[in-house]
Amino acid sequence: MANAEPKNVNLRLERFEYRAVFSKTGRAKYISHLDLMRAFQRVFKRAHLPIWHTQGFNPHVYIMFPLALPLGTDSRVEIMDFALTEDIPYGEVLERMNAQTPVGLEIVSVSKPEHKHTDITAAEYVARLKTDKSVHEVAELFGKFMALDKIEIEKRTKKKTINLVDIKPHITVLDSKELEDSFEVTLRLPCGSSFNLNVNVVIDTFCERYGIEISEIYTERTKILMANGENFI
Amino acid sequence: MEELKKKIEKLLLKVQRPSRYIGGEVGSVVKDKDKVDVRFAFCFPDTYEVGMSHLGMKILYGLKNARENWWCERVFMPEEDYNKLMRENDIPLYALESLDPIKDFDFIGFTLMYELSYNNVLEMLDLAGVPVLAKDRTELTPLVIAGGPCACNPEPMADFFDLFILGEGEEVNVELLELYERMKPLKPTKQEFLREAAKLEGVYVPSFYDVDYNEDGTVKSITPNVPEAPARVKKRVIKDFDKVYYPEGFVVPFTQIVHDRAVVEVLRGCIRGCRFCQAGFIYRPFREKSIDTIKNETKSLCEQTGYEEVSLSSLSTSDYTEINKLLENLVEYTDGEQINLSLPSLRIDNFSEELLEKIKSVRKSGLTFAPESGTQRLRDVINKNITEDEIMRTCRTAFEGGYSTVKLYFMLGLPEETLEDVEGIAKLAQKVLDLYYETPKEKRGKSVQISVSTATFVPKPFTPFEFEPQATPEEIKEKQEHLFKSLTSRKIRLSTHQSYTSILEAVLARGDRRLGKAIYTAWKKGCYLDGWDEHFKADKWQEAFEECGLDTSFYAHRRRSYDEIAPWSHLDYLVSHEFFVRENKKAHQAVTTRNCKEGCSGCGIKCEYGGVYCGKR
Repeated sequence: MANAEPKNVNLRLERFEYRAVFSKTGRAKYISHLDLMRAFQRVFKRAHLPIWHTQGFNPHVYIMFPLALPLGTDSRVEIMDFALTEDIPYGEVLERMNAQTPVGLEIVSVSKPEHKHTDITAAEYVARLKTDKSVHEVAELFGKFMALDKIEIEKRTKKKTINLVDIKPHITVLDSKELEDSFEVTLRLPCGSSFNLNVNVVIDTFCERYGIEISEIYTERTKILMANGENFI
Repeated sequence: MEELKKKIEKLLLKVQRPSRYIGGEVGSVVKDKDKVDVRFAFCFPDTYEVGMSHLGMKILYGLKNARENWWCERVFMPEEDYNKLMRENDIPLYALESLDPIKDFDFIGFTLMYELSYNNVLEMLDLAGVPVLAKDRTELTPLVIAGGPCACNPEPMADFFDLFILGEGEEVNVELLELYERMKPLKPTKQEFLREAAKLEGVYVPSFYDVDYNEDGTVKSITPNVPEAPARVKKRVIKDFDKVYYPEGFVVPFTQIVHDRAVVEVLRGCIRGCRFCQAGFIYRPFREKSIDTIKNETKSLCEQTGYEEVSLSSLSTSDYTEINKLLENLVEYTDGEQINLSLPSLRIDNFSEELLEKIKSVRKSGLTFAPESGTQRLRDVINKNITEDEIMRTCRTAFEGGYSTVKLYFMLGLPEETLEDVEGIAKLAQKVLDLYYETPKEKRGKSVQISVSTATFVPKPFTPFEFEPQATPEEIKEKQEHLFKSLTSRKIRLSTHQSYTSILEAVLARGDRRLGKAIYTAWKKGCYLDGWDEHFKADKWQEAFEECGLDTSFYAHRRRSYDEIAPWSHLDYLVSHEFFVRENKKAHQAVTTRNCKEGCSGCGIKCEYGGVYCGKR
């Protein structure tokens, strides 16, 4: 992959692969996946970093996010791959990018890509919710929820039919806490090429089932993992 | 305002494209509110996507924020989904930078771009918790003000604003805010402040003028009622356009907006004098920026924004005196940086192959031309000085260059228009199509598409057609049907405009103060976002006019005599009434007027305003 040669010989340029870990928090969490692409494109342009363009009929900036982050969820572990046409040290790339990012987007590290995108299998999330019920009650209900044999949700297929899917076997509860005014749960959910489960879907299904009204919610993706349980880098 | 921010964040995930409502874009200016003396909410009475594309806002935003102790913030009209949630959750309209409610600002300033956005002003003020009627706002602040092209006849909106700014804003905005900053510590009443403000050239305070009407409903007189108010308020003009303030950077949105690119203004005003075109007269005289200035502004903007496209803005870019030299200079920079250079607003007549080559190096897409009418006679009536030969020559160049979609814009309902002229549109479109088939196969693009788009003509103030009646809906319908029947090829697609919106636009464009009541009534009935077809409620508007005892055809479909006192006659846009009368008479004789470059036709603008061609006979 790293040494793949562009099809168009005339445009063939050396490319150097980079992988950035970045955070998307605060006001930036409302940037949609598509808009994020554009936002970073402009970061590169402003930073005068020589971004590598795809070599097809209609060249465009090569930026790749292996895993979409749900709108409204914070994260400090997001992954973005890109390629430059010059070999610029990782530290310098990081600095130049951070000088140009909008509020809430920050590059945490830049390094060589090690693993393939398809190695991503799961992610961990923290969800903290304030509701119309007492914290203790919500905690108990959540225990009940996770004790169910089956948790079926409706999932729309590509053919626009609706399938019932049991999400129960896909949810791993790592921790749950009763905080002063909110209930907090840490979950591991599958993601990547085979099966994706959105943290909001889990929380919404839970709240809907027990008639819980959310007044405030905070969700954060905390880890992106591979099958062997190690962090994806 | 942590509390409000929390409330906002709770709702954002329930609405479409929430990044429009939370700010934080690159280039947005955040200041410490304890260290600023004047806070200005720049409101655009339409959605974020439309408003963020508006150049005037970018200029005035940068201009005001260049002062350390002034803070200008952006405010847009929320879409229906968010509007509803804001109201249900008691979130007042807030500014995107601070997320503070705008009702606490010193100024709330609107730009009036389009008549059908008037009701959004009322909706936004109400959403902000500010009384919509100026007379109900008795405190000094917030001062609700407006500028923009529609301010040339702001009379229908006179009830809602404290003052209007006429003409170009770069100097007078600064003067107005300086005056406010000086007077604020003295705690003046609103009246005291407005009286001082009325002394500034370009400031029009509507409450300082009494309007009387004749029995037939026309205006009898417009008289100042305070000594500070001049009998005629002059619009402002930037005399040294090359030195005028221009922002070094823009606010770069996350979500895609209508014009998502860097924009550099190359010239202001227009030499052409097309008789239907308001912009062609109210932005006079024709002034240019130097190549160096344009180049520097382009560079600075591209670097700050990171945009991959820069567009040259003006009413007619190909009229730039040294257009080829300018483009050579710019292409040198943009090609090196892999930035696309786009040139909207090109004229057909001087559209050279060379020019085409330059824009083509960017991306081959469609071409858009506006012949405006189908026959030479009617083009002479409207003084659109292009010939069919020129149109054909340009289209040939375009087809041979590989372009395959051509959009042609026309107007229906022009003065002196006959069914023969309407047929002319179909004939012209057919000729363009035939031209494509005559183009050698190896040169032309794969499949051709001609789009014919017709708008209904709306007579506007400060044009030679300000005296003309608008065609009635019946006449327009007949013409649209006739055109539809005259078109025979499936390769020609026709689109037409809704008729009631054009009537409303005509009523508001040349209306007087009595219309304020109808606007208010229609807004109360739920009319806003009128520029969006899915929101436009023709029946509610009609009800509003009827309840207020106002007749739309009095405003839209009546021929006005040359000596009738127009509702905007106390506003001076520097082009003389005599010139408009002269031009109107020539129009009815189908006689054209030369453009400013060919020689001065005496429109009344004085040489002192810095026009490139002014005084050159």
